Amino acid sequence: MIPELMIALSIGAALFGIGLYGALSQTNLVMIIMGVELVLSAALLNMVAFWRYLHPDVTAAKMYVLIVMAVMAVEMTVGFGIAVARFRSRGSVEMEEARELKG
Amino acid sequence: MSVAQALFLIFFGAAAVWFGIVVFRTHSMVRSAIALLFSQTAVGAMFLVMQAEFLGVLQIMMMATEMSVMAIFMVMFMMDPGGMGKMDMTHQKRLSLWAGGIGLVAALAVIWGAGWTGPVPPVPGAAEQAAALGRELLGRSMFIFEAAALMILTAMVAATMVAIAPREEDD
Repeated sequence: MIPELMIALSIGAALFGIGLYGALSQTNLVMIIMGVELVLSAALLNMVAFWRYLHPDVTAAKMYVLIVMAVMAVEMTVGFGIAVARFRSRGSVEMEEARELKG
Repeated sequence: MSVAQALFLIFFGAAAVWFGIVVFRTHSMVRSAIALLFSQTAVGAMFLVMQAEFLGVLQIMMMATEMSVMAIFMVMFMMDPGGMGKMDMTHQKRLSLWAGGIGLVAALAVIWGAGWTGPVPPVPGAAEQAAALGRELLGRSMFIFEAAALMILTAMVAATMVAIAPREEDD
Protein backbone atom coordinates (compact mmCIF):
# COMPACT_ATOMS: atom_id res chain seq x y z
CA MET A 1 0.00 0.00 0.00
CA ILE A 2 1.17 3.55 -0.72
CA PRO A 3 -0.16 5.70 2.19
CA GLU A 4 0.26 9.09 0.44
CA LEU A 5 -1.69 7.82 -2.59
CA MET A 6 -4.47 6.54 -0.34
CA ILE A 7 -4.65 9.89 1.49
CA ALA A 8 -4.81 11.89 -1.75
CA LEU A 9 -7.43 9.61 -3.32
CA SER A 10 -9.56 9.59 -0.15
CA ILE A 11 -9.58 13.39 -0.12
CA GLY A 12 -10.52 13.28 -3.80
CA ALA A 13 -13.41 10.95 -2.92
CA ALA A 14 -14.58 13.38 -0.18
CA LEU A 15 -14.47 16.34 -2.59
CA PHE A 16 -16.41 14.28 -5.14
CA GLY A 17 -19.12 13.45 -2.58
CA ILE A 18 -19.43 17.08 -1.43
CA GLY A 19 -19.54 18.34 -5.03
CA LEU A 20 -22.22 15.80 -5.98
CA TYR A 21 -24.32 16.83 -2.97
CA GLY A 22 -23.94 20.51 -3.92
CA ALA A 23 -24.75 20.03 -7.60
CA LEU A 24 -27.93 18.10 -6.74
CA SER A 25 -29.16 20.09 -3.74
CA GLN A 26 -28.73 23.72 -4.83
CA THR A 27 -31.43 25.63 -6.66
CA ASN A 28 -29.24 28.47 -7.89
CA LEU A 29 -27.37 27.99 -11.18
CA VAL A 30 -24.15 29.57 -9.89
CA MET A 31 -24.14 27.31 -6.80
CA ILE A 32 -24.72 24.26 -9.03
CA ILE A 33 -21.65 25.31 -11.05
CA MET A 34 -19.69 25.43 -7.77
CA GLY A 35 -20.67 21.81 -7.05
CA VAL A 36 -19.49 20.73 -10.51
CA GLU A 37 -16.20 22.60 -9.92
CA LEU A 38 -15.62 20.56 -6.74
CA VAL A 39 -16.27 17.29 -8.61
CA LEU A 40 -13.79 18.31 -11.33
CA SER A 41 -11.17 19.31 -8.76
CA ALA A 42 -11.52 15.81 -7.25
CA ALA A 43 -10.76 14.39 -10.71
CA LEU A 44 -7.70 16.67 -10.96
CA LEU A 45 -6.45 15.53 -7.57
CA ASN A 46 -6.82 11.86 -8.52
CA MET A 47 -4.91 12.36 -11.77
CA VAL A 48 -1.99 14.16 -10.08
CA ALA A 49 -1.87 11.51 -7.31
CA PHE A 50 -1.80 8.64 -9.82
CA TRP A 51 0.91 10.44 -11.80
CA ARG A 52 3.05 11.09 -8.73
CA TYR A 53 2.82 7.77 -6.93
CA LEU A 54 2.40 5.26 -9.77
CA HIS A 55 3.87 6.67 -13.02
CA PRO A 56 5.91 9.89 -12.54
CA ASP A 57 7.68 9.15 -15.81
CA VAL A 58 4.45 9.37 -17.89
CA THR A 59 3.93 13.02 -18.88
CA ALA A 60 0.64 12.31 -20.67
CA ALA A 61 -1.07 12.19 -17.24
CA LYS A 62 -0.17 15.84 -16.61
CA MET A 63 -1.42 16.75 -20.06
CA TYR A 64 -4.83 15.36 -19.10
CA VAL A 65 -4.76 17.54 -15.98
CA LEU A 66 -4.43 20.55 -18.30
CA ILE A 67 -7.39 19.25 -20.36
CA VAL A 68 -9.57 18.93 -17.23
CA MET A 69 -8.58 22.49 -16.22
CA ALA A 70 -9.71 23.62 -19.69
CA VAL A 71 -13.00 21.74 -19.17
CA MET A 72 -13.47 23.58 -15.84
CA ALA A 73 -13.00 26.94 -17.56
CA VAL A 74 -15.38 25.98 -20.39
CA GLU A 75 -18.02 24.74 -17.93
CA MET A 76 -17.90 28.07 -16.09
CA THR A 77 -17.97 30.13 -19.30
CA VAL A 78 -20.99 28.34 -20.75
CA GLY A 79 -22.72 28.22 -17.35
CA PHE A 80 -22.36 31.96 -16.86
CA GLY A 81 -23.43 32.62 -20.47
CA ILE A 82 -26.64 30.70 -19.76
CA ALA A 83 -27.00 32.54 -16.42
CA VAL A 84 -26.77 35.93 -18.14
CA ALA A 85 -29.33 34.93 -20.78
CA ARG A 86 -31.68 33.49 -18.16
CA PHE A 87 -31.37 36.52 -15.88
CA ARG A 88 -32.05 38.85 -18.79
CA SER A 89 -35.19 37.02 -19.89
CA ARG A 90 -36.64 35.92 -16.50
CA GLY A 91 -34.85 38.06 -13.92
CA SER A 92 -33.64 35.04 -11.93
CA VAL A 93 -31.18 32.16 -12.11
CA GLU A 94 -33.21 29.92 -9.79
CA MET A 95 -33.46 26.50 -11.40
CA GLU A 96 -36.72 25.76 -9.56
CA GLU A 97 -38.29 28.33 -11.89
CA ALA A 98 -36.75 26.78 -15.02
CA ARG A 99 -39.03 23.78 -15.38
CA GLU A 100 -39.65 24.57 -19.07
CA LEU A 101 -36.05 23.49 -19.76
CA LYS A 102 -37.22 19.91 -19.21
CA GLY A 103 -38.80 20.14 -22.66
CA MET B 1 10.23 13.04 3.09
CA SER B 2 7.45 10.48 2.94
CA VAL B 3 6.12 11.20 6.46
CA ALA B 4 6.32 14.97 5.91
CA GLN B 5 4.58 14.58 2.57
CA ALA B 6 1.79 12.50 4.14
CA LEU B 7 1.32 15.04 6.95
CA PHE B 8 1.14 17.99 4.56
CA LEU B 9 -1.27 16.05 2.32
CA ILE B 10 -3.53 15.42 5.33
CA PHE B 11 -3.34 19.09 6.40
CA PHE B 12 -4.12 20.59 3.00
CA GLY B 13 -6.61 17.81 2.21
CA ALA B 14 -8.52 18.51 5.43
CA ALA B 15 -8.54 22.23 4.52
CA ALA B 16 -9.85 21.44 0.99
CA VAL B 17 -12.65 19.23 2.38
CA TRP B 18 -13.55 21.67 5.18
CA PHE B 19 -13.82 24.66 2.83
CA GLY B 20 -15.72 22.45 0.35
CA ILE B 21 -18.31 21.80 3.07
CA VAL B 22 -18.44 25.52 3.98
CA VAL B 23 -19.36 26.33 0.34
CA PHE B 24 -22.78 24.72 0.83
CA ARG B 25 -23.29 25.54 4.51
CA THR B 26 -23.07 29.33 4.52
CA HIS B 27 -26.02 31.55 3.58
CA SER B 28 -23.74 34.19 2.06
CA MET B 29 -23.03 33.45 -1.60
CA VAL B 30 -19.92 35.64 -1.62
CA ARG B 31 -18.59 33.62 1.33
CA SER B 32 -19.38 30.48 -0.68
CA ALA B 33 -17.23 31.74 -3.58
CA ILE B 34 -14.37 32.60 -1.20
CA ALA B 35 -14.65 29.20 0.54
CA LEU B 36 -14.48 27.50 -2.87
CA LEU B 37 -11.39 29.59 -3.69
CA PHE B 38 -9.72 28.39 -0.45
CA SER B 39 -10.73 24.80 -1.17
CA GLN B 40 -9.25 24.94 -4.69
CA THR B 41 -6.12 26.67 -3.37
CA ALA B 42 -5.68 23.84 -0.85
CA VAL B 43 -5.96 21.36 -3.75
CA GLY B 44 -3.26 23.40 -5.56
CA ALA B 45 -1.10 23.20 -2.41
CA MET B 46 -1.58 19.41 -2.46
CA PHE B 47 -0.22 19.42 -6.04
CA LEU B 48 2.84 21.31 -4.75
CA VAL B 49 3.28 18.75 -1.95
CA MET B 50 3.12 16.00 -4.59
CA GLN B 51 5.96 17.78 -6.42
CA ALA B 52 3.82 18.81 -9.41
CA GLU B 53 5.05 22.42 -9.11
CA PHE B 54 3.87 23.71 -12.48
CA LEU B 55 0.36 22.28 -12.10
CA GLY B 56 0.12 23.49 -8.48
CA VAL B 57 0.94 27.08 -9.34
CA LEU B 58 -1.33 26.92 -12.39
CA GLN B 59 -4.23 25.59 -10.28
CA ILE B 60 -3.86 28.35 -7.67
CA MET B 61 -3.59 31.14 -10.29
CA MET B 62 -6.47 29.84 -12.39
CA MET B 63 -8.80 29.28 -9.44
CA ALA B 64 -8.07 32.73 -7.97
CA THR B 65 -9.21 34.28 -11.26
CA GLU B 66 -12.19 31.94 -11.68
CA MET B 67 -13.50 32.48 -8.17
CA SER B 68 -13.12 36.27 -8.44
CA VAL B 69 -15.31 36.16 -11.55
CA MET B 70 -17.72 33.86 -9.73
CA ALA B 71 -18.00 36.27 -6.78
CA ILE B 72 -18.83 39.11 -9.21
CA PHE B 73 -21.56 36.98 -10.81
CA MET B 74 -22.89 36.16 -7.34
CA VAL B 75 -23.34 39.85 -6.53
CA MET B 76 -24.90 40.46 -9.96
CA PHE B 77 -27.42 37.64 -9.99
CA MET B 78 -28.30 36.72 -6.45
CA MET B 79 -31.31 38.14 -4.69
CA ASP B 80 -29.42 38.09 -1.38
CA PRO B 81 -25.66 37.77 -2.04
CA GLY B 82 -24.73 38.71 1.54
CA GLY B 83 -27.00 36.05 3.03
CA MET B 84 -28.64 38.55 5.40
CA GLY B 85 -32.14 37.13 4.82
CA LYS B 86 -31.01 33.53 5.58
CA MET B 87 -32.88 32.29 2.49
CA ASP B 88 -32.90 28.54 1.95
CA MET B 89 -31.86 27.86 -1.64
CA THR B 90 -31.80 24.08 -1.54
CA HIS B 91 -34.14 21.36 -2.68
CA GLN B 92 -34.24 17.53 -2.59
CA LYS B 93 -31.78 17.62 0.31
CA ARG B 94 -32.27 14.02 1.40
CA LEU B 95 -31.78 12.65 -2.12
CA SER B 96 -28.66 14.81 -2.55
CA LEU B 97 -27.20 13.65 0.77
CA TRP B 98 -27.78 10.03 -0.19
CA ALA B 99 -26.26 10.53 -3.66
CA GLY B 100 -23.21 12.33 -2.23
CA GLY B 101 -22.81 9.73 0.52
CA ILE B 102 -23.13 6.77 -1.85
CA GLY B 103 -20.65 8.41 -4.26
CA LEU B 104 -18.19 8.92 -1.39
CA VAL B 105 -18.53 5.38 -0.01
CA ALA B 106 -18.27 3.79 -3.49
CA ALA B 107 -15.14 5.80 -4.30
CA LEU B 108 -13.56 4.93 -0.92
CA ALA B 109 -14.39 1.24 -1.43
CA VAL B 110 -12.64 1.24 -4.82
CA ILE B 111 -9.63 3.13 -3.42
CA TRP B 112 -9.11 0.93 -0.37
CA GLY B 113 -10.00 -2.26 -2.21
CA ALA B 114 -7.68 -1.73 -5.16
CA GLY B 115 -4.48 -2.33 -3.19
CA TRP B 116 -1.93 -0.25 -5.07
CA THR B 117 1.49 -1.25 -3.86
CA GLY B 118 4.90 0.49 -3.80
CA PRO B 119 7.72 1.25 -4.16
CA VAL B 120 7.09 4.84 -5.24
CA PRO B 121 9.29 5.66 -8.26
CA PRO B 122 11.51 8.79 -8.04
CA VAL B 123 10.00 11.95 -9.51
CA PRO B 124 11.93 14.15 -12.00
CA GLY B 125 12.96 17.70 -10.96
CA ALA B 126 10.65 20.68 -11.58
CA ALA B 127 12.59 21.99 -14.62
CA GLU B 128 12.80 18.54 -16.12
CA GLN B 129 9.04 18.04 -15.60
CA ALA B 130 8.20 21.34 -17.31
CA ALA B 131 10.47 20.50 -20.25
CA ALA B 132 8.93 17.02 -20.58
CA LEU B 133 5.40 18.52 -20.46
CA GLY B 134 6.34 21.01 -23.19
CA ARG B 135 7.70 18.23 -25.37
CA GLU B 136 4.53 16.19 -24.73
CA LEU B 137 2.20 19.10 -25.62
CA LEU B 138 4.06 20.03 -28.78
CA GLY B 139 4.73 16.45 -29.82
CA ARG B 140 2.65 13.34 -29.24
CA SER B 141 -0.34 15.10 -27.62
CA MET B 142 -0.43 18.15 -29.87
CA PHE B 143 -3.75 17.20 -31.48
CA ILE B 144 -5.48 16.81 -28.08
CA PHE B 145 -3.95 20.09 -26.88
CA GLU B 146 -5.14 21.91 -30.00
CA ALA B 147 -8.59 20.34 -29.61
CA ALA B 148 -8.73 21.77 -26.05
CA ALA B 149 -7.78 25.22 -27.38
CA LEU B 150 -10.53 24.96 -30.02
CA MET B 151 -12.99 23.87 -27.32
CA ILE B 152 -12.23 26.97 -25.25
CA LEU B 153 -12.57 29.25 -28.29
CA THR B 154 -15.91 27.65 -29.24
CA ALA B 155 -17.17 27.99 -25.66
CA MET B 156 -16.15 31.67 -25.56
CA VAL B 157 -17.99 32.41 -28.81
CA ALA B 158 -21.04 30.34 -27.78
CA ALA B 159 -21.24 31.93 -24.31
CA THR B 160 -20.99 35.44 -25.81
CA MET B 161 -23.70 34.64 -28.36
CA VAL B 162 -26.01 33.23 -25.66
CA ALA B 163 -25.41 36.11 -23.26
CA ILE B 164 -25.58 38.99 -25.74
CA ALA B 165 -28.78 41.07 -25.71
CA PRO B 166 -31.04 40.50 -28.73
CA ARG B 167 -31.28 43.45 -31.13
CA GLU B 168 -34.57 45.30 -31.50
CA GLU B 169 -35.33 43.94 -35.02
CA ASP B 170 -34.85 40.34 -33.78
CA ASP B 171 -37.64 40.66 -31.19
